[in-house]
Amino acid sequence: MITVSSLTKSRAQVRVLDDVSLEGAEGTVTALVGPSGSGKSTLLRCLNGLETFDAGQITIAGHRLAAGPHAPGLLERLRRDVGMVFQQFNLFAHLSAAENVALAPRVVLGLSASDARARGLDLLDRVGLRSFADARPATLSGGQQQRVAIARALAMRPRVMLFDEPTSALDPAMAAEVMEVIVELARAGQTMVVVTHDHGFARRAASRVVELAAGRIAREGLAGA
Amino acid sequence: MKSLLGAFAVVGWLTAATVAADLDEVVARGELIWAADQEGGGPHVFPDPADPRRLTGFEVELAALLAEELGVKPRFQQGQWDRLPLLLGRAADCVINGIELTPERLRDYSCSRPYFAYSLQLLARRDGRVDAFHTLAAPGPEGRWRVGVLTGSAAESVMRSRSDLEVDVIGYDGTIDSLEQVSSGVLDAAVMDDCIFNFYADRFSRLRTVERPFAGGFYTILTARDTPKLSAAIDAAIGRLIADGRLKSLYDRWDLAGRQQMLMLREGAEIPVARRKTLGELVRDTLPLLLKSAGMTVLLSCLAFPLAVGIGLAVAVGRMHGPRWLKPLLTGYVEVLRGTPLMLQLYAIFFLLPKIGLALPAVVAAVIGLALNYSAYESEIYRAGLKAVPLGQFEASLSLGLSKWQALRYVLVPQAVRIVMPPVTSDFIALFKDTSVCSAITVIELTKRYSVLALSTGRIVELAVVTAVLYLCMSWPLALLSRWFERQLERPAAGGTEG
Repeated sequence: MITVSSLTKSRAQVRVLDDVSLEGAEGTVTALVGPSGSGKSTLLRCLNGLETFDAGQITIAGHRLAAGPHAPGLLERLRRDVGMVFQQFNLFAHLSAAENVALAPRVVLGLSASDARARGLDLLDRVGLRSFADARPATLSGGQQQRVAIARALAMRPRVMLFDEPTSALDPAMAAEVMEVIVELARAGQTMVVVTHDHGFARRAASRVVELAAGRIAREGLAGA
Repeated sequence: MKSLLGAFAVVGWLTAATVAADLDEVVARGELIWAADQEGGGPHVFPDPADPRRLTGFEVELAALLAEELGVKPRFQQGQWDRLPLLLGRAADCVINGIELTPERLRDYSCSRPYFAYSLQLLARRDGRVDAFHTLAAPGPEGRWRVGVLTGSAAESVMRSRSDLEVDVIGYDGTIDSLEQVSSGVLDAAVMDDCIFNFYADRFSRLRTVERPFAGGFYTILTARDTPKLSAAIDAAIGRLIADGRLKSLYDRWDLAGRQQMLMLREGAEIPVARRKTLGELVRDTLPLLLKSAGMTVLLSCLAFPLAVGIGLAVAVGRMHGPRWLKPLLTGYVEVLRGTPLMLQLYAIFFLLPKIGLALPAVVAAVIGLALNYSAYESEIYRAGLKAVPLGQFEASLSLGLSKWQALRYVLVPQAVRIVMPPVTSDFIALFKDTSVCSAITVIELTKRYSVLALSTGRIVELAVVTAVLYLCMSWPLALLSRWFERQLERPAAGGTEG
């Protein structure tokens, strides 16, 4: 499902990623851990083309990314199959929770407004926020916003989900409710890559833990090992 | 109503309190300050082509002769032609600038004895259809004839009072603007004082005079009503200049047919003094015109602003997300339109485009000019608004498979529009007021109509109050409307999806 081979990226003469290779089979959860600045978020953002890289290549959900700038069309196709959840939620501030979730299915997949809304309400139900469907992001707690963001990414029915420190901006109680949703997804067999600081989560939900340090893979092993 | 009358009283008192300088003061000062508009041009008062810092013209020489008669030096005061009388008693002792002697002026100002006889001349293109005055009595192939005049001039009031002619009279702010427009085919004909056309005839080789002058009158020197000694001294001085032949030789020097002038000045037709209208009559006679012009103000704003917003948004998006080659072009567009005056842009659209064969109706030119000018400002506002939407939302849109344009359309632009609502609203109000600039290209909106009426009736204060009330009646609903719009955008969209 995911193959990263010899990925290398420099930024201002610093090697952010240095010959990184890893595999992620279908239905597995890969946790990327490591200190700040170790390159784990950059690696994740390379996986859906939000960042480019200098050498190596990526195959994800059947799409291939080469070094250098990517064609916009390729990225749009790839991103239908690869969802992403951000540390800062990044909900669309002018839309309600349901509209946040329904936007991409309607605009990108061409669903009718009512079908898209139905899909949005289903997903909000799945993350426990059905009753907040018409609330604006600003009126939701951080944990609720992140759960809406997860529902929004799931609305495209992606084959791979990427999480960029999904709980780092949340207090422990809210982090736990978000974590619950991610663990639930893992149980349902969703292929995921999760950048996290939370070793507890890595142990509970990940099939494999990859530790980065200074842009290189420092350690790699099965979860709980 | 009571407070309104109070306001009248205060303004009236203020007007009376400005004491004009009478003869003693002029002599003590050693200077006669005379007002004219050098933009009005030749042969009256205009910058000397050989030395543009120096003014020349037959009225410049007349002012010098008059000052000499009073034993003082002349000093020139610049003013806009149709507002020159307002300078009396404040910035000038007298106005010498082709001011025609009319019943209204006799009523409102102190008018000197005539110093020049003018004749109104019809002018048309050599290859045009207007070849006799009576041609104008029947509609032309394209309906009513379009005839240009100088706003506020005798030519305007004579042409507007001729209900026997099938003409639309269009007022211009510049003396020879109407000649330009006849020359480029926008107008069918123009009417102006024959001495002006004779002076500029070389420049307009495509034009010719149509028959002999059909009407005429006299120029007078205006002084304030409360400077009787100065008025009398000027009258006496003109008398001496006529008697001893100095005026005749001045006119001969300027090719103004001195002998004929002297004959006509000695005849001096009797002109009746107009009656002062009651407030009721004044409102009854002016309100329909003021309302019509208020409608023009609303029309211009409501057509130009949505265009400005649309263009501005497109330019902002293009500058931030468009292809690389487009960005310097759009930056240039914004800087040129922001960096040059609106007036100049309107001039270019209205007077220069016809030279390359694109003659736009004045209202269309005004809407385009306002829309382009304001689009530059709106684009900067929208650029700021787009920048204010967190980058994360753009990335989130892309990560969902939206294209850049879809992200702009569904995520960035809707939020930017909400963010910039207050500055955009205030720009709308600014545009509303800026429509008055369009009078430069013959579009008469409320401010211009007020100033024309105030000068022709002499009822400056009363009409100012009426005009102010009209402005309030328009801007209040607009303010309410924009606030309502703001609230609509802030309200969470109910139910279904939007975009």
